[in-house]
Amino acid sequence: MLIVDSVDAGYGHVGVLEAVSLCVQPGSIVALVGRNGAGKSTLLRVISGLIAPTKGGIRFEGLDIAGKRPHTIVNCGLLHVAEGRRIFRNQTVADNLELGLYGLTISREEYRRRLEPVYSMFPILRERRDQLAGALSGGQQQMLAIAQAVIRGPKLLMLDEPSLGLAPILVDQVFDAIVSLRRSGVAILLVEQMVERALEISDYCYVLQSGRMTADGAARDMARSDALRTAYMGDHDSGSN
Amino acid sequence: MAASRATTLAPLITQTAFVAVACVFPLFVGSNSYALYVATQLGVYIIAAIGLNLLAGYAGQVSLGHAAFVAIGAYATALLMVDHAWSFWAASLVSMALATGLGMLSALPSFRLSTWYFAFITLAFALVFEKMIVEWRWLTKGFAGVIGVPAPRIFGYEFGPKILYLLVFASAVVAFLIVRNIVQSRFGRAFVAVRDAPAAALAVGASPQSMKMLAFVIAAAMAGAAGSLFAVQKTVVTPDDFTADFSIFFVLTVVLGGLGTLWGPVIGAFVFFLIPEFLSSLQSWRMLIYGCLLLVLMLFAPHGLAGALRQAWRRYAQTQKTPAAARTDTPVEHVAVAGLALEITGLQKRFGGVAALDDVEFIAPAGSCSAIVGPNGSGKTTLLNVSGGYYLADAGSVRIGGVETNGMSAQRIAALGIGRTFQTPRLLNELAVIENVMLGAYRRERAGFASTALRLPGARAETRRMRAEALDHLEFVGVADHAEDPAGEVPHGQQRLIEIARALMGGARLIMLDEPAAGLSMTELDRLDQLLVRIRKLGATIVIVEHHLDLVASIASFVTVLDRGKILASGSPADVFKDERVLQAYMGDRALRSGA
Amino acid sequence: MDPDILVRGLTAGSLYALVAVSFNILYRPTNVFNFAQGELVMLGAMLFAAGKSTVGLPWPLALLATLAAVGTLGLAEEFIAVAPILARSKTGTGWVITTLAISLIVSNLVGWIWGPDPILVKPPAPLSLDTFEFAGLRLNSYVIALAALTIALVALIERAYRTLQGKAVLAVAEDREAALLRGINPARLSRWSFFLGGAFAGLTGILAAPILYASTSMGPALLLKGFAAAAVGSIGNNRGALIAGYLIGITEAVGASLLSPGYQEAVVFLVVLTVLLMRPQGLFGLATTRTV
Repeated sequence: MLIVDSVDAGYGHVGVLEAVSLCVQPGSIVALVGRNGAGKSTLLRVISGLIAPTKGGIRFEGLDIAGKRPHTIVNCGLLHVAEGRRIFRNQTVADNLELGLYGLTISREEYRRRLEPVYSMFPILRERRDQLAGALSGGQQQMLAIAQAVIRGPKLLMLDEPSLGLAPILVDQVFDAIVSLRRSGVAILLVEQMVERALEISDYCYVLQSGRMTADGAARDMARSDALRTAYMGDHDSGSN
Repeated sequence: MAASRATTLAPLITQTAFVAVACVFPLFVGSNSYALYVATQLGVYIIAAIGLNLLAGYAGQVSLGHAAFVAIGAYATALLMVDHAWSFWAASLVSMALATGLGMLSALPSFRLSTWYFAFITLAFALVFEKMIVEWRWLTKGFAGVIGVPAPRIFGYEFGPKILYLLVFASAVVAFLIVRNIVQSRFGRAFVAVRDAPAAALAVGASPQSMKMLAFVIAAAMAGAAGSLFAVQKTVVTPDDFTADFSIFFVLTVVLGGLGTLWGPVIGAFVFFLIPEFLSSLQSWRMLIYGCLLLVLMLFAPHGLAGALRQAWRRYAQTQKTPAAARTDTPVEHVAVAGLALEITGLQKRFGGVAALDDVEFIAPAGSCSAIVGPNGSGKTTLLNVSGGYYLADAGSVRIGGVETNGMSAQRIAALGIGRTFQTPRLLNELAVIENVMLGAYRRERAGFASTALRLPGARAETRRMRAEALDHLEFVGVADHAEDPAGEVPHGQQRLIEIARALMGGARLIMLDEPAAGLSMTELDRLDQLLVRIRKLGATIVIVEHHLDLVASIASFVTVLDRGKILASGSPADVFKDERVLQAYMGDRALRSGA
Repeated sequence: MDPDILVRGLTAGSLYALVAVSFNILYRPTNVFNFAQGELVMLGAMLFAAGKSTVGLPWPLALLATLAAVGTLGLAEEFIAVAPILARSKTGTGWVITTLAISLIVSNLVGWIWGPDPILVKPPAPLSLDTFEFAGLRLNSYVIALAALTIALVALIERAYRTLQGKAVLAVAEDREAALLRGINPARLSRWSFFLGGAFAGLTGILAAPILYASTSMGPALLLKGFAAAAVGSIGNNRGALIAGYLIGITEAVGASLLSPGYQEAVVFLVVLTVLLMRPQGLFGLATTRTV
C-alpha cells in the first residue's frame, strides 16, 4: 500500500537519508526504529510531503506521491501525526477535531457521526471538548493529536513517537488505541522509542541507522536480533572501551 | 600557479585601480564642472549607503527613513555654521551625534521586537521629521531652507570644490574601511548571528538588542556625516532635499549593489546615481522605476550586483582552484580553565498544561562530566534551556559557579563562561566554518570597538591569534579541511562538531551539549569521545544530554535520568544503567537489557 | 477646547482601526505586514470616486467593482511579491522591501493616471457631513454611521474567524506545519487573506473618501497610523486594533488642537514609541507566546 523506493532526502545541502526503502502492507503495523538522529522523523516528513525527496520514488496505493504537497497527500488518506503533540493550543478541543476534517465536504450529521468513535476511543476529549487544547495535559494533547488524524478516516496512519513523555497508564491507552485502529483496518507506520512495546504490536520492523536502513524483518524475530542492539548501543562498545 | 595568483590578484587590482581613478579624477575636470559636482555628491551618498548596508545587509535591520538621518546632519551643520558661525569640523561632529541620538530615541523600542517594526518606525520617523522641519520654522527657516552654508576651512584656508571632493572621497574611503574592519571582526560575526541565528548570538554572549543598536549607531553616525558634507557641498539645505523618495533611494542603492556585500553600496550608488543623470528625460517616471527595480532585484538577485559579480567570479575561480595552503602554525597551547559547578534545586517549568520539569534537582560539580539521559520529551533540553537562561523557570533555583542565574538573560549567563550546543546546530550558514568558530570567542576577544574599527595592531594580532586557535579547534574536531567553506554546505554531523568547536573557542568553563552524538558517523563518534576527554582535562565542567548510552558510560562520571520532567534515578553510570526502573522507562526493551 | 475634537477623533479613529484590521487580516496566516496597505486604501478611494463621478456608476455597483479590483490587486501582490520571498526563507524580512516596492509602483501608477488633485466624494444620502449639536458636542450623521459600521465590521471579521476557514487561518498562524499535516493548504489561505485584506483596505478607502477626499497622496499617512493602531492594539488582535484606533484618533485630535495641526504625526509617533517601550507586545497582547 505504501512503497518507499530508495529515497534520498535532506535539508538544504545537508543529506539525511540515503537510499531508504520501506513497504507497508494494508492493515499491518510496521515499526520504524533507530536511535535519535537516525532520520526516522525525516523519513516520515518526506512521506507526508513536508520535505521533497531528492531521489527515489514514493507510491501510495499505486499513486506516485513523491514531491506532492502535504494537503494532497492527506487527501489520499495518508495521515501523519508529528512528534511533539502538534495541536492548535489556542483553539478548543472541538475546534481542533473539526480542523481534522478540513477540506472534506461533510454534513453536520456526518460530522457528529464521525466524532462518536473518536470520543469513545478517547472519552476524556468529550469531557473537555470546550476547553482550550493548550490547557490539556501532555497525554490528553497526544490523544487529541491522534484523534485529529483518526477522525478523517485514514487508510494509513503514521505516528511519530506517540508515547513521548506520557505516563505509563496513558502509554497503555495510546497503544490500545493503535491496536484497535489496526483492527478497524487502518495500516500504521509507527516510530517509537519504546522499542519493546512497539515490536509487541507490530507485524514488521525496519531499523534505520545514520540515514540508512540497516535491517528489517518480522517484528517477532527482530526483538532478539543483534542488528537492533547495534542500532541503539553502537557496535564499538565492546571493542574500544 | 600563475592562474591561481591571477584569481587572487584580479579583484585586488580592480579595487586599487578604482581608488586610483577616483583620486586623480579632479585633475581632469574643471573646478566648477558639473562632473566634479556630481562626483562629490556621489561620494556623499556612498557614505550614507555604506552605513545603511551595515545596518540592513549585515545586521538585518532595514531602515526606511535613512534620509531623515542625513537631513539631521545637514540641518545641524548648516544651522550651526550659518547662524552660529561654528567651524565645519565641530559642526559635523555635532551632526553625527545628533543623528545618532535622535535616531536612537525613536528606534529604541524596536530593537527587542521583530525586525519589521524597525522598518516601520524609521519610516514613521522620517515622515514626522519631514513635517517638523516645516513646523519648526523658527529653527529651520521652513520651506525657504538654510542658505549660504560656507565651505569648510582649515587654518584659514577655504576648501575649493576640488579639495571638497577629496575630503568627501577620503571620508568615503574611511567609512568603507571602518565597515570592512567591523564586518570582518567579532562584531560583524555577531551582526550576522543576530540576523540569521539569534540563538547562536545568545549562546556566545552577544545580546541581539545591543548588536542591533550598535549597527544602528554606526549607520546613523555615517548618515549624519554624509548630511554634514551634503550641506557644505550644496550650500543650501531645504526640506525638499529630504523627502520620502530620498530614503527609498538609499534602500534601492543598497539593494541594487547587494545587501550584505562590502562593495555593494559603492557599486549600487554608482550605477543607480549615474544612470538617472543620463536619463533625465525619465525624471517623472523615476519612482515607478525605483519600485520595479526594487521588486525585481529582491526577487531575482537578493545579493544585488556585487553578489552576482561574486558568484560569477567564484565560478570562474573554482575551476582552477589549487589545494588550500598548508597550515604550518604551531599548535596552540590550550589554557586550563577552572570549571564552574552547576547546581539546580527544586526547578519547575510548565508549558501550557504540561509540566516539562517538576521539582528537578541536579548537581554537576566543578570539572566533572555529568550526563542527563531519558526518553524523548522527558525535559532534558528544557533543563538545558532553563539553565542557559533561554527560558525562565517557574520556581526553583539555578546556581552556576555559586551565582544564582535564574532570571538572568541568556547572554549574561553565557558571559559567565557557559558554552552551549543545540540539537539542531545553529550555525551562520553563509559564513565560513572558521568564522563560525571564531564567533565563539565573542566574549573573549579584548579588542574594543574603536581599535577594531581602525584595525589597530593589537586588534590585528588578536584576530590572527584567534584564527590560529579556531583552526586548531577545527583541526581537532576533524573539520579543518572545511575551514573556508560556507558552514551551510558542510554535512550535518560535522556541523555538530563545528558547534562544539565554537563553544570551546569561547573558553567555556561549563559546557552544555545537547545530543552531540545524534547523527554522527562511527569515526565522528570516536572523535567526539576523545574531544570530550580533552575538554575535561582542561578542567571545564561538562553537562551532556545524550541518547548514546555507550558514549555516556565512557565519558560521564555521573548520570541523571529524567522521565516526564521528574528525576527517576541518579548516580554512577554503572549503577544507574542497572536500575530496573531506568531500563523500563528509557529502553523498555528486553533486547537491549540483555545487551547492556 | 475645540468642539470638533470628538468628530475628528471618531472619524480618524474609525479609519485607523479599519486600516489596522486590514493589516491583521493579511498578517494572521502569513506573518507579513504589508507596506503597500496604505496605497491599497488610496486606490480604493480613487477607484470609487472615479467609478461614481467619472463613469457615473450607481454607488453599490461602484462599491462592488472597487472591492473586487483592490482585492485582486492584493492577490496579485501576494503572488508576485510575497509568496516567492516566503518560499525562499520563512524568517527573512525581504518582504519588507518587496511590499514597499509594490507600494511605490501602485502610488506612482495611480498618481500618473489621476494626477494630484483630490476628488470630492459625497456621502450617500441620507447621510451627510452637516454638523448638528448634541449634548454640547458637534456631530454629523456620516461620522456616527462610520463608527457604527466600523464596530460592526470588526464584529463581522471576528465572527469570520469562527468559521472552519477562519479556524484554519488561526491554525496556520499558530503552527504552519501542523496545519499542513491536517490537509490545510496555507498557500491558498494566504492568497485568500491577501484578497480579503486588499478588499477590506479598498472598503476603508471608500469610507474615507467623503472625509479626506479621494487623493493620491493619502496612502503614507494611513499606512503609518494604521500601523500605529495595529501595534498599540497588539498585532493580530482586531478588538485591540479597534480600541487603539480610537485611542490614536482622539489623541491625535487633542494634540492637534492643543499644539498645532502640524504636530498630528509627531503626537501619534510619540504615543506608539511610549507604548512599545512599556509593552512591546502592545496594550492588548495575544496569548500566543509560544515556546518551542
